[in-house]
Parts: sequence; structure tokens; C-alpha cells
Amino acid sequence: MAFTEPVLTKRIPLDPSKRHAVWYDEYEATGGYAQLRRALEMTPADIIKTVTDSGLRGRGGAGFSAGQKWSFIPKEKKGPHYMAVNADESEPGTFKDRYLIDYDPHLMLEGIAISCIATQCDIAYIFIRGEYHREAKVLEKALQEAYAKGVFGQNGTFGSKHKIECYVHRGAGAYICGEETGLLEALEGKRGWPRNKPPFPAIAGAFAKPTVINNVETLCCVPPIMEKGPQWFKSMGTPSSPGPKLFGMSGHVNKPGVYEDELGITLDYAINKLAGGMKGGRYKGSICGGISMGVLGPNQLDIKLDFDDVRFRGGCLGLGTAGMIVMNEHTDMVRALRNCVRFYSHESCGQCTPCREGSAWMRKILDRIVDGLGRARDLEMLMELEKTMGIMPGTTICGLADGTAWATRTFINKYYEEFAARCPEDSQRTVPLTVIKRGNALPTTPMGSNTRV
Amino acid sequence: MAWIAEDRRQEQVTKGEPLLTEEMKSHLREKYFPRYPTKRAVLLPALHHVQHEYGWIPTQALQEIAEFLELAPAEVLDTASFYEEYWLKPKGKYLVQVCRSLSCEICDSRKLTDHVMKKYGIDVGETSADGRLTLVELECLGACGTAPVAGINDTLHEELTVEKLQQIIDGLPEDPHDYKDPTINFAEANGH
Repeated sequence: MAFTEPVLTKRIPLDPSKRHAVWYDEYEATGGYAQLRRALEMTPADIIKTVTDSGLRGRGGAGFSAGQKWSFIPKEKKGPHYMAVNADESEPGTFKDRYLIDYDPHLMLEGIAISCIATQCDIAYIFIRGEYHREAKVLEKALQEAYAKGVFGQNGTFGSKHKIECYVHRGAGAYICGEETGLLEALEGKRGWPRNKPPFPAIAGAFAKPTVINNVETLCCVPPIMEKGPQWFKSMGTPSSPGPKLFGMSGHVNKPGVYEDELGITLDYAINKLAGGMKGGRYKGSICGGISMGVLGPNQLDIKLDFDDVRFRGGCLGLGTAGMIVMNEHTDMVRALRNCVRFYSHESCGQCTPCREGSAWMRKILDRIVDGLGRARDLEMLMELEKTMGIMPGTTICGLADGTAWATRTFINKYYEEFAARCPEDSQRTVPLTVIKRGNALPTTPMGSNTRV
Repeated sequence: MAWIAEDRRQEQVTKGEPLLTEEMKSHLREKYFPRYPTKRAVLLPALHHVQHEYGWIPTQALQEIAEFLELAPAEVLDTASFYEEYWLKPKGKYLVQVCRSLSCEICDSRKLTDHVMKKYGIDVGETSADGRLTLVELECLGACGTAPVAGINDTLHEELTVEKLQQIIDGLPEDPHDYKDPTINFAEANGH
């Protein structure tokens, strides 16, 4: 059996004009919260076993087994356990969590309640990015309903002994808070600087207590797994990456949007069948799952979109969040890479020198190449910088710098001619590097003198 | 760019009426204190609350928040200066936030920024002469499927063209508190 009907998006019609937020009554009438009621009668170990057996891998980018992650939480409770829901979706190309929250908020809330029972969590914090104003309001409303109906609150979930609290915690515009320990710091009211591990969040996370951190889509997979069982879940996707997945298609395609299909579909299928084909020219490349993962080249349309094939055959870091940015033949890949690197130099938290300085220098070099002043040495320097930053060479705390490195590496490797043509060998020009223009999108920028108060 | 240092030696703190009013304090105390085991965790909600009230966060308010949450003022500034969404300098009534990340850039978001810059004679990060608009470019707003997008205050506008953006800007009401997201067609919840 393969993917036959939508799982995560079963309450969200494909036609945008028919979409609406599904509130409590409609959610319950279409089979919602039945799995939570079942989970109340199961032991935590049984729930964890079901999810582990299904092979569900985290949908937030890293692809770690969700059931295993839960099993790291201490079984014996010596104080509160927390859950942090990662809705800090800021990776360029990714917009699937917004879609789930906008139209089916209770699916996630049910997933949260079930996983709180499995990991004995007392409080769940939904960390939503600051820019998602509407989504935060949808969640507040859905939570109010869920509290009123007894899903959360001190009376116990549906009258049982499990007391779960659930709150929305709004971030304030920092990509790095999507990194799990950065998220915890932001939750504690500090700057979102990722922490050194160990200790891992499962042992000492939020407020130094055991904390489980899951992505929105991962949690949305939990109720269907409980309903139809691990074997059903495994019947979709590939053996190492089972289950359905939301693919966010954007860029030069005819029908951009979020589409659900099983893991392991080919890139060609995603572009031509799901997203309605290329727009404005032939296919040239596609970001494979948020820009951190790198780019799939012109002859890689047959790559299977699962956690492994993209990595081993596609030469990228992984599937990431499966947010594809498809680019046609008229796209300037040097500018595209400049955009990616600008993102990282802007979003680096500044803790580790290789990331902070490396990404800033890469951005300056790319600015120079885009301005038509590139030299052959520039490409070498980019490749050299890219090898020195990230968790993999072991020079940074978190994986943000790996994103910079993989984007740069894959872009230059796969479009070498395009880069080389802009960086001629015989160029002896010595030009000053353009200084990063301060002020771009900075909240701390001085205002024009005409408005100073 | 969270790691850029700002020179705050010339910071003027005007001491006037308290900005963090008793009403705001009791709202934070009742709604947010029970949620977290530490007081510091209330910092982000408190900063959001002040910014929502005044449009930006004056230094005086930072000091009052510090006192309220039993933190050092430096700790509050440390957090507040990290996050891009907090404005520590005044901004215009409406914040036009054009997304500049890859999906939007390849769908011509630059045209939107250029248009606003030219039309109102402002650079990115500046405010128009009448104090109505402040223009910023942000990294990914998370709506790549409907690129190019721009947020105006709390509302996201999708599939924009220059004409459409101009129309939206022309239609903005005088008081930004009257400006509501038209897609929110439900009664908003005030806590649970």
C-alpha cells in the first residue's frame, strides 16, 4: 500500500478558497481527540513503543527518530518535565508548519497532549516565531477551546489523572531560536544563544529540567499513527524514511504551495505532478529542504526525496524540512548563493567566531563577485572558508554554520562554470571588499533625522 | 544581525510617567507569571506587551521591566537587543516588512522595496517624513508559496505586485490600532 489519501492534510482541502480553520467541534466530529482518549488508557511506554515502531523521523530538519527522542526522557520523575514545540519556522523555503497551524490547529494540540502523556510532561510551550501573528492568534483560540473542553488544565485531561498545561510563547524574530537549545534559551527569557551539548535537553533542557522538543509536523503525525498503527505508517514512504510528508513547493513553479505525499517521491514528480510544472523556463536547480541543505543540480531530477537519498546520492546535507525552492534556467546562481549567505551572516547569533566572521566574509566576497569584480582567488577563498565552519569540522556550537557551508559547497560544486566565469583567472584587480552595508533590516538602525523624537 | 554592537553611551533616558503601568503589570502578573517557573521567562512577553502599547521600547521601559522582573537592566537590554522584532528606537506608525529571502527574491521582491524607497524617499531602515511608514527588509517570513510577500504591522500580504502593495499602503487607516488582519474571522481569545 502506498500513499492513497491525505493524512496530515485530511481536513485541509486542496482548493484554497475552501480552506478554513478547523475548530474544536468540527475537529472532534471528524474523528479528532479519539486517539487522545485512547492514549489515556495506555501506559507511557506503550505510546513510545508505538511511535518508535512506526519509524517516525523528526520533521524539523534533522530527521531523528521521534520515539527514540522521547525514550531519552527519564522514566522516573524527579520534578517537572517540559515539552517545547518548535514552531519557529524560519528556514527560507519552509512554510508547512504555518499551513498546519492555520487550518488544523487541533491536530497539533492532540499530538502535543499525547506526547505529553508519553513523556510525562507537565507543561508544553508552543514556541512560535514572532512574525506569525495570525497563527499565534489561531493557536490562542484553539487552546481556549481545548481548555474549555478539558483537553488541558488542572482538572486532568478528559477527567483523567494527567494534568497538562499548554501555552503559546512568542519569539521575536531570530532564526537561531529554531535550533533546539537556542529555543530553550529564548523560552527562559535570554538571548537565543545555542547551548553546548551535553547535557542534552532530554536530561537538562528548559529551566534545567528534562525537556522534549518536537517540530509541529512531527506532533501532527502522532494521532494518525495511534489511530492506524505503525504498520500502516510504514507502508508509506521508504524503509528508512516511512510516512507521509508535507512538501513546500515555491519559486518558479506553476502551482506553488504545500503538498502532502509520501517520502521518497522523486524531485521530478514533486515539480511536475504536485506543483504543476516549471514556470518561465526549464529546470535549473532546486533547494532541497530549506537553504541549509544545499541545492540539487540540473541532472538530479531523479533524486528521491527522503532523508537518505538526498544526502547520499544528491550530495546535500539531507532532506531538511522538504521546502523546495525551484529555480528556472534564467536564475543567476551566484546571486542565489549570495542571498543564502546573506541570510546566514544576518542570522548568525555571533557566539562562535567561524560562523560570525566566516559568513560575514563570505557575504562580502559574494557581494564582490555579484558586482562583477570577482577574482579566481575569491572562489578558492569561499571553498576554504566553507570547510572550516560548522559542527562537522567541529568549530561551532550549533549547525547554523553547517547550513552556510553546505549551501556554498553545493552551489559552487554544481554550478562551477557559472561561478568561474565571474571570477576570471587573469584578473589582477585589487579592489577593496565592500563593507557590509549596515542598516539593512536592523531594528536598531538610526531613523532618518526628520523623524527623530 | 544580532551580534552588531551598538554604542549606547549617549543614550538619553527621560524619566517621566511610568511606561509600564500598573494595569500592564497586573496583566503580566496574572497571565504570564503562573506559566513559567522563573520570572525571567516573562521577559519576552513583557517586551512584546510594551512594544504593542507604544510601538517601540524606550530605555525607560527597559529599566522598569528590569525592576518588575527583578533583573539587572543590563540583562533586559541583553535580551531585547538580540531580537530583531524589538525596536529600541522609535519607528513609524506602520512597519512595512518586505521579505528578501530566496523564494521572494527570485519572484522579484526587490521591486517592492525599490518602489517604497522611491515613492517615499526613504532607505531601508528609515521612516517617511510624515512618520507614517518605516521600511525594513526581513529574512524569510515563512510564506514562500505565495511569494513575494510583505508584512504590514501584524498582517501578512501575499502574492504582491507593486500596484497591490501601493493600494494596501494607501488604504491604511490613520490609527494603527484600527488596522486589523482581514483574514482573522474569529473572536480572539484572551487567555485561558
